[in-house]
Amino acid sequence: MKTNQKKAWLFLAPTIIFVTLFSIYPILRAFGMSLQKGSLIDLSWAEFSNYQYLFHDPEFWLAIKNTILYAVISVPVGLAISIMLAWIIFSKVKHKAFFETTFFMPYVTSTIAIGIVFRYIFNGDYGMLNFILRSLHLPAPNWIDDPAMSLTTIIIFGIWTSLAFNIVILMGALRNIDPNFYTIAEMYGASGKDKFWRITMPELVPTIAFLLTMNVIGAFKIYTSVYALFNGQAGVGNSATTAVFYIYNKFQIVGTPGVAMAATVILFLIILLATFLQRKMMKKIGEN
Amino acid sequence: MKKLRLGVLFSYLILFIFAVITVFPFVYMLLGGLMSFQETTSIPPTLIPHHFEWSNYAKVFAQAPFARYFFNTILTASITTIVSLFNSLLGAFAMVNLHFKGKGVVQMVLLSLLMVPGEAIIFTNYNTIAHLGLLNTYIGLVLPFLTSIFYMYYLQSYFGSISDTIYKAAMIDGASDWEYIWKILVPMSKGGLFTVGLLSFISGWNSFLWPLLVTNEDTMRLLNNGLATFASDAGSETQLQLAAATLTVLPILILYFIFRKQIIQGVVRNDLKG
Repeated sequence: MKTNQKKAWLFLAPTIIFVTLFSIYPILRAFGMSLQKGSLIDLSWAEFSNYQYLFHDPEFWLAIKNTILYAVISVPVGLAISIMLAWIIFSKVKHKAFFETTFFMPYVTSTIAIGIVFRYIFNGDYGMLNFILRSLHLPAPNWIDDPAMSLTTIIIFGIWTSLAFNIVILMGALRNIDPNFYTIAEMYGASGKDKFWRITMPELVPTIAFLLTMNVIGAFKIYTSVYALFNGQAGVGNSATTAVFYIYNKFQIVGTPGVAMAATVILFLIILLATFLQRKMMKKIGEN
Repeated sequence: MKKLRLGVLFSYLILFIFAVITVFPFVYMLLGGLMSFQETTSIPPTLIPHHFEWSNYAKVFAQAPFARYFFNTILTASITTIVSLFNSLLGAFAMVNLHFKGKGVVQMVLLSLLMVPGEAIIFTNYNTIAHLGLLNTYIGLVLPFLTSIFYMYYLQSYFGSISDTIYKAAMIDGASDWEYIWKILVPMSKGGLFTVGLLSFISGWNSFLWPLLVTNEDTMRLLNNGLATFASDAGSETQLQLAAATLTVLPILILYFIFRKQIIQGVVRNDLKG
């Protein structure tokens, strides 16, 4: 049966054609366009001037800074809360399916729609959140209209949205741990704490590594939730601009596709680097 | 023993708080869409409207072509789901059941493409669609999504679990590949195909950035873009915005509650193996 069945290409043809046109070609094109200047219909060779422009553009650095801050804060916090909730559901609760269904709801819903809802909950004057904060005598900041708060607001919303996927994936991983491990640990009188840190966490390392990668990639692509929270803007005075916002702006509004593509290439490289570093880090943790 | 119970109680408390935080925005959206304008912006905030303003929904449909948005969204989400499922099915079959030179290379290229974030190529794809003169068309909306490496990869793992001897037996019986796909492979993996279809439809329903780029005519907008525009146009009418948001979320939530098992399993399986 070690024949070369050429008919396979016939079955793969639609996929290969679409992938070539809409995945491989655009990647190459993005690299190419990052070295060109002018408008979409009139591009000319520009060497590395787009990259030079980026390095001198404070708006670009703000976008990168915001994106990285968002990733560095929202991902670990979201992951930690998810692990805690998944572990509680898994180890303490009877109606696991009920809670799993509840916590997964945000994953299937539209970010735009739920972002609009959060805009009201976050409203500085009549929002539900500030009402609760005030009744607890806590400071009630202006979540939406204060430029100093916009990144915090996005991070809170980001954590809220990230829990759904994380919890469901973690629940799947927890179910896959051999229950005999716990039975044996109990026989030796291990405490709940011991069981969690000695059995559960080491068994979860590959899943956490996977979630970390997925979350970080997702965080670097953040766009829609900012758009929804700030009504199409990137926060007051562009205070919450992100990398994709910057790219969209340079591509579609300002009309400098070369600059946009140079930013895309840099974003792409950052994502690759972050993924690579995480893999290394998690491998080290896995070995210990 | 007492300490243990306190721990359990504390766990339940945390779970309860986070469950409320998760569900509350949905509840607020549903109720807010039925409030009067004064109620949505009152201090202290209203939670239960005095009188359900069902007329909000009539106003939403009167102020923006939401019926058209629904039609566009259902159409494009269905087309991308059906066609990409069909293409992924054929591709996955070839990768699992057939032997050919270059299979390893194809697999490697496809897997590495899975790593590329969609946002990195969406703008150059816009360029392609614009060049083809397909802006503001249904074809432009669906074209880049007519195949999915992700779903193909998922189906491969599904088909891989079906024994190869079934394929060989079918060949000996004189069945063609095409007959094998439709008479054996599809019926045997109905569950997997259905799950992938659901996930694809949901992501099509929630798509935002691509349709934002390739459409600018109101009649070609999808639900989420229509909603975003509506939210900035009807900026002051908070109750209508919440009603419009409900319209966008509710159909998918209903779908989710009916098929939650398949959807959750699909996501777990899909992503743990990816």
